[in-house]
Formats: sequence, C-alpha cells, structure tokens
Amino acid sequence: MPRRGYPASTAGPDSRNVPFDDSPVPAERERERALVAAAEGGDEDACRQLIESFLPAIQGLARRFAAGGGIQQTELTQEGIAGLLFAVRRYDARMGTPFWAYASFWVRKAMQDLLAELKRPVALSDHAVRGLAQIRAARRDYIDAHASEPTADQLAGATGFSRAHLDSLLAVERPPRPFDEPVGTDAAGDLATLGDTLADPEAEEEYRHVLDEIAVREFARGLDERERTVLWRHYGLGWPPQTLTQIGTSLGLTAERVRQIEAGALQKLREAAAEPPDVRGT
Amino acid sequence: MRHDAFVYDSDEDYAVRTAGFLREGLDAGECCVVAHNRAGLAMMRDALGPDADRMVFVDLSWTYTRPARAVAAYHGTFVRLLRQAPSVRAVAEFQFGPTFDDWDEWQSYEAITNLAYDHLPVWVVCTYPANRLPDAVLDGVLRTHNEVLADRWAPSDRFEDPRDVVRTLMREPQPLPGLRSWYVGQDLERFREQLAGDLAAEAVPGAKALEMLVAATEVATNAVRHGGGIEEVRVGRVDGRFICEVIDRGAGFDDPVAGYLVPRPGRGTGLWVARQLTWRVESFHSPRGFAVRMWL
Repeated sequence: MPRRGYPASTAGPDSRNVPFDDSPVPAERERERALVAAAEGGDEDACRQLIESFLPAIQGLARRFAAGGGIQQTELTQEGIAGLLFAVRRYDARMGTPFWAYASFWVRKAMQDLLAELKRPVALSDHAVRGLAQIRAARRDYIDAHASEPTADQLAGATGFSRAHLDSLLAVERPPRPFDEPVGTDAAGDLATLGDTLADPEAEEEYRHVLDEIAVREFARGLDERERTVLWRHYGLGWPPQTLTQIGTSLGLTAERVRQIEAGALQKLREAAAEPPDVRGT
Repeated sequence: MRHDAFVYDSDEDYAVRTAGFLREGLDAGECCVVAHNRAGLAMMRDALGPDADRMVFVDLSWTYTRPARAVAAYHGTFVRLLRQAPSVRAVAEFQFGPTFDDWDEWQSYEAITNLAYDHLPVWVVCTYPANRLPDAVLDGVLRTHNEVLADRWAPSDRFEDPRDVVRTLMREPQPLPGLRSWYVGQDLERFREQLAGDLAAEAVPGAKALEMLVAATEVATNAVRHGGGIEEVRVGRVDGRFICEVIDRGAGFDDPVAGYLVPRPGRGTGLWVARQLTWRVESFHSPRGFAVRMWL
C-alpha cells in the first residue's frame, strides 16, 4: 500500500539532472544502493561518486535558493552537500524510496537552515568586531606564509577561537564572490554560471569534514600495533588470513600467546563499542 | 527522568517559552542544554542573552542518523553533564525525514527515549514545530511523550507503553532466501574465521569487516551461552549491505528495545554492541530457530 509523505512542495524527487532516480533498470537502482551503503561505511570513493552524481541537482537547488536573495550559491551548494551526506548516513534502502527522493529533502533542509541562520538580524558587539579583526589578521598572516587560503580549522587554531565561535563570526561577514557569470546552459536547459563549472574547494572541505566524522566511528584506534597485527592477519583484513601459529612465528610468540593478545584486543573493541559517545557541546 | 514535548506555533513562541523553561532550570542549579541545528542555536543564543553563557549548546544538525547511535550520543552527553550538576534540563529539537517509514523509525526512537535515560536525573523536552510537520508526526508526539506543552503542560491521554509503540512500528523482517548458509559448530574462533572469509569475499573494507566481526561475535556468544547453541549462520549482501544472521536453538526473546538501552549491571551488553557497530539489527523467529540478523 503506498504511504504518504510530505506534500510535494516540501519533499520528493527533483527530476532534473538526477542520474539514478526513476531508472527503469533494477541494476542501476541496485548500484545506487550499493554506492550509498559504501559511502555510509566511510568509503571515500563512493562519497565522491555520489557527490559528483548529484552535484548538478544540488547546484540547481542552490541556484533557486540563492535567487531568493542575500546568499551566495556556493555556500548553499556546500551546505547542500552536507545535507546529501547526512542523507547517506540515514537513508534506509528498505524503505523503497529512491535515494534522491529522500536525500533532496535533507539537501533542501540544509539550505533552508542556512538561510534561516544567516537572515537573522545581526548586531555586532564591540567584542565581535574585535574578533573579526583577529580573524582577518590571521588570514592575512596565513596567506603570506603559505600562499593559500587557510581552512576554518586553521583559522580557529590561529585565533584561539572555537570552531563554533569562528563560524558565527564569519557568518556575518561574507564577501560576494563573482561566480554569477553566465557560461551557457546546463543539462536541464537552465542558465549555468561560472560557479557551476568549477570544483568547489569549500564543498570539498565540507565533505571531507563529514568523512572525518564518519571515520570517528573507527573504533579500532584504541588497539596497539601488535593487537592490530594479530587481528588483521588472523582475519585477513587486508592480508591473506594466517593461522595463530603463522602469526606467532612471524612475531616470535607462541600461538597461545597470540590467542591471548587477540582475546585482549577483542575485549578492548567490545568495551570501546559499549561506551556511549558524547555529543560535543559549546 | 521526564520526557515531555513542546509543540510550538512559531519561532518566537519557541524561543520565548523555551528560554523561560531553561532559565527556571538555571535558577534551580541544573545544567541546561539546548540541542538544535545551527539556526536554532543562533536563535536561542539571541533569546537567552547573557544567560546563554551559562547554557550548553549542542549542534544536532547531523546527529540523528540511526536511533541506536542517537540514544548512545545523548546518554554519553547526559552522563558527562551530570558530573557538573545534580540534574540536567534539555530542550531538543527533533529531525523527522520525508517519508512515512522514516517517521515510524524515529517515532520508535522517541518511545525508546522513555526507557533509555530512566535511571538519570534528566528532564528532556522535545520540541516540534506545529506548522512544519505533518499530522502523523504530531500524533506520534502524543503517543511517545508523557506530558505535552501546548497552551499549558498537560498529560498526554494517548501516551502508550514504549515497548508497545516500538512493537507496532517494527517492520516485518524480509525472508532473504538468497543468503548463503553455513555451520561451524560452537567454536567462536572458527565462527569469526569463516565470517571473515565471507566478508573478504564480499570485498568489505577491513575496518568495516572488523566491526561486523565484533558485533557478530557478541550475537554468536549470546547464541552459545543463552540460546542453546548456534544452529546456522546465513550471510550475503542485500541492498548493498553485508548481512550476517545467527540462528540459535533457544526460545529467543521478545523485547523490542533489546540492545537500545545502555548496558548496566543486570542488562546485557551484546546486543547494544551489535546495534552500535552495525546499521540495523533485527530479531525474529525463523523456521530454523531464533534469528538475529545484522546489517552492516
């Protein structure tokens, strides 16, 4: 029985520039699901493929939101990519909904949230003005030293501001970027701009940030080198699998000692997985 | 523990009333938390003025990915904050997705919340924008929260036992006849070796394979210790995800929130670990015995 969702005005597939959506070929749908699952598992290539596949659709939405005024398309695109990657981490293929039909909701929401955040009335305190001056100075110093733009994390490190504080200050100072130059039309026949055709380093950084967040779940970081060696070799994680005796021979240990090391490593992993994480607050 | 809801009409309504609620907490010496997306946090910083410096702001923009992980994240946060204050008062905006199935899943999460922190001195108020959510979601609010603040605080006369809510929203597991079957007895090391071979054959990356090995070891251990032994193991790939299903010879269990509640003395760790490390865990009675199916 079909189940209803949000009204079409707030969700549902955007039919333009969508490479997988509504495909009549089951293999394509299967490939899409495999790609999303791989991306959710932290596969960077899969993330990149998804982003590249859906970037035209995200940019199309960003263009529409940007037309509402006040916000650069590149910022909206960046936020849209974060929304797409959030959808990757939440999408359940069992629901039967095509990925973009699901993801486009989060892409739109991310853009709407950015608009809501930036359109708040802003009154800068003296303290905030001094903070912005510090950020500008740190940026100049970085460019002088490295001949490249600093990342937000580097600016936070240079100024001593938390990332949240830095972001809130930068949010009120957004220089216009000349990405609006028309360069032709896109696949949907809409006017495309220079910004659509360029690789977006900020977007790249954003999805790397999300990938880093995914990597935090890599819970094996508490193992020491020997424990990793034993587990990886015994279970063939990137190696041909070896017996405990073979591993022991290479490490100068008895098979029983290797078994003990493995048991200790598995116990560490169990405890790491059982420990509830903490959501960072400010 | 209190788990209530505030259904608000506008951002202004949200800001004014939650700010008042949180200030009451500050006056009572509680640790007060605002959990929202960036736009919501910015709005609340404005609304709270100087009191914002005494609040904890948590960006939830990307937190609600899987119910089990969200439970764990909140629990870890509450435990940390309770080292600083005798009790915690939190206002948390929720994020529902675009589909009915998504609503079901996260409505289950809201029901589980009633049990997940019931041993902690916390008062969680979930906030819902009345104008931006469909009626089905708002109906669910009444089923999963003890009290609801609309014009005033009032008990929800539609509140249901959390386990009943989860049970009614659970999806029936698919049969998945394409999974491959094997049996290696009750030796957990041989179980892991065989499973590792299947993970490698399916080209599952090493770090993810390790997560499945640890999760499946927990489930297999439960099968050996409490389930009368392993009867069969089924593996394969569905919807792009690697699946491991452990079937035991025991009577199984019928707790729909098993593995969602933080391990404590007297409460098992195995299913909790399995839920934290995998995408989804299902449990059901199959023709061969009681099955626990993990999706990586």
